[in-house]
Amino acid sequence: MVEAKGVFLKYPDGTIALKDINLQVIPGDIIYITGPSGSGKTSLLKLLMGVEYPTEGNISVLGQPIAKGQESGIRRLRTALGPVFQEFRLIKGRTALENVMLGMRFLNVPKGQLKDIAKDAIKSVGLESKELSLVENLSWGECQRIAIARAVARKPALILADEPTGNLDKDNALNILELLTSFKDKSTAVIITTHATHLIEEKRFTKHIQMNRGIIDFERLGVT
Amino acid sequence: MKNIFYNLGYFLREVKTVIRLNALSNLFSFLSTTLIFFILAMVISGWWISGKVVEAIQGEAEISVYYEDGIGNSGAMELLDKIKSMKGVREARVVDESEAYMRMEEILGKDALVLEYFDENPFSSFIEINIHIEEMSSLLDKLSTIPGIEHVRDNREILEKLQDISNALSIIGYLVVAAVGITTLVIISHIIRMGINDNKEQINTLRLMGAPEVFIGFPFLLEGLALTLGGGILASVLGAVTLKYAYAQMAGPLPFIPLPPIGVLVSNLFLVIVSLSIILGMAGSFFGLASARKK
Repeated sequence: MVEAKGVFLKYPDGTIALKDINLQVIPGDIIYITGPSGSGKTSLLKLLMGVEYPTEGNISVLGQPIAKGQESGIRRLRTALGPVFQEFRLIKGRTALENVMLGMRFLNVPKGQLKDIAKDAIKSVGLESKELSLVENLSWGECQRIAIARAVARKPALILADEPTGNLDKDNALNILELLTSFKDKSTAVIITTHATHLIEEKRFTKHIQMNRGIIDFERLGVT
Repeated sequence: MKNIFYNLGYFLREVKTVIRLNALSNLFSFLSTTLIFFILAMVISGWWISGKVVEAIQGEAEISVYYEDGIGNSGAMELLDKIKSMKGVREARVVDESEAYMRMEEILGKDALVLEYFDENPFSSFIEINIHIEEMSSLLDKLSTIPGIEHVRDNREILEKLQDISNALSIIGYLVVAAVGITTLVIISHIIRMGINDNKEQINTLRLMGAPEVFIGFPFLLEGLALTLGGGILASVLGAVTLKYAYAQMAGPLPFIPLPPIGVLVSNLFLVIVSLSIILGMAGSFFGLASARKK
């Protein structure tokens, strides 16, 4: 699903965000990427989403190379991803249901099923009572869940969650991680970044990658 | 395209939401669009009316051809037929001595008494030609080669001035309409860009989720269209009311100005402004979207 070899990412101002990253993700993986702020976790996710291109090395996601000149392929790749953004990126002025449906409108989902799939996704994150609430009236944790519902409703091959536990207390953070990993199946992988390394001790994973200053500090395998 | 039809209901709801969320900004955009289309409507009306006036004055452009006495009536008729078949002639007819006398009486009015001092009618018959002003030079050249013509009174100086005024009015008309049209395009694309800027976050999110540019841009295209079409319709209504008032004001003191019929003017204006509002709205939206994408 993801194949990265010797990837470097250098920003135009000279900052080296990633150094010699090697990564492999297969279907069914649950991968945690941890590390302090500025360690390169978000930069790595940006690469996986095709927001940034590697300045050295090669990376491909779901068979799509992430490189300049691949824009239309990257656009198609994104339709197969389930991103959960750090600040949620929910569209204000719309209800939770509309937000979840919006993520699927351009995916050729049969019209009659669009609403049902969105409602099921909202139900799966336990917020069926809030589906008609405007997102600006939801709490931080509820927004996080709606963002997850939007990602999983798209039936993605790869779920990418950037700091989904940020600003949440321990119990809620653990619940969110549990929820995210519950969407993993034989054909879906989940990659979660978090600075809260202590949280994942209690969680299931296939791989834990610790990053620091743009390099992979260590990797350890786990069990799911 | 399939995506657009599939999501048409969503796009329309989205336009409503986007307009509602930025109500004040959109209200000002709508008013600015209305105002600029109203100015465009007035410029076009002025151009049309002045064009009609010039056309009417041009229609009065005449030259007089005096022929030799010796050619007789049949010779005059032959000459008339020849002139009628020439390029640049709208109409030609013979004005005989008595009609020439009566015309002079009309011109002189109370002073026509002076004509009674003549024992005989001092005026000779001539051929009066109503011409296409733009063909004047070549027509005069050709007339000078026809045998039997003694003298041509061409009013060349006045007619050439008339031609110059007509040309200048056309050029000014094109320039003003082009200038207002381009200004409209720039303002509308700027308004659309501001709308896109207000929704930058939403656009970026959709891009990150893999939405095609057409899907992202279509609601803004519709928003731009709604603003300009609404503005165009309101401007046309305001233009019609203004024109009716202006016609009522001009009919009394300036009855000699050959104004085009108000009904025709208003319906043509409505068609032009509404069509332009659709075209400029779409073009402005495309420019706005393209420049926002570059950003």
